[in-house]
Amino acid sequence: MFERFTHEAREAVIDAQAGARGLGHDYVGTEHLLIGLVGAPGESLAAQTLVRLGVNPEQVRARAAALAEPGAAASDAEALETIGIDLDAVRRKAEEAFGQGALDRPGRARRWGRRRRRKAPGHLPFTRQAKTALELALREALRLNHRWIGPEHVLLGILRERTGSGARALRSLGITLGEAEAMILDLLREAS
Amino acid sequence: MATAASSHDPAIGLRAVASLRLLVEQLEDLQVDSARAQGWSWQQIAAVLGVSRQAVHKKHARRGLRIGRR
Repeated sequence: MFERFTHEAREAVIDAQAGARGLGHDYVGTEHLLIGLVGAPGESLAAQTLVRLGVNPEQVRARAAALAEPGAAASDAEALETIGIDLDAVRRKAEEAFGQGALDRPGRARRWGRRRRRKAPGHLPFTRQAKTALELALREALRLNHRWIGPEHVLLGILRERTGSGARALRSLGITLGEAEAMILDLLREAS
Repeated sequence: MATAASSHDPAIGLRAVASLRLLVEQLEDLQVDSARAQGWSWQQIAAVLGVSRQAVHKKHARRGLRIGRR
């Protein structure tokens, strides 16, 4: 599916992989695609678009990292906290009754802590949302009658996908699909 | 991260359920081991857990052997 991707778009996808690894994640989500897009500040049309819309790469990176798919990297303690359970308190009670490390004994269940990270020598797998965003990038390019798929189309793909962390990060920074598309077309006109 | 997002987000809610399930399993292991060590029968354990004797035995007996308990 990457045949029609420009060199820059491929670089962004590679940067997304690196960004995911840098955050200790074992998947590439839309938030990492977004991080990949702003990797080379000011260079790609996508990065320029975001800057013109008033968002700098640092903001994007910080927001995307904060919104990383909770299912993948959040610790159990964080997940339980969202439903009002204090894992540390449960652990303390268990240890009072059964001794130090009672909840940490290896058993049938996996151990507590961060999810085991895959060693990941090759490519990290894309999340469903990231795949959708990349497919939508292709569709955006076709819709705009562009014969290439560049970082700008990936940006539109992320926005159009809507549900992923990338789209949520952009939304929370006030970036809308309509504005991004208009800005991309403006920049393309300026460049031609 | 958790506070930034709404619990209406299925990704967060489902993740919490998964973690809760794991916590329940671990507490069950702990309590079943403790009960066995205190001489409880599988029947007694099953009755309090509200499951069949077969179910609790199937789930925990093998594990008990592996960690050196009868």
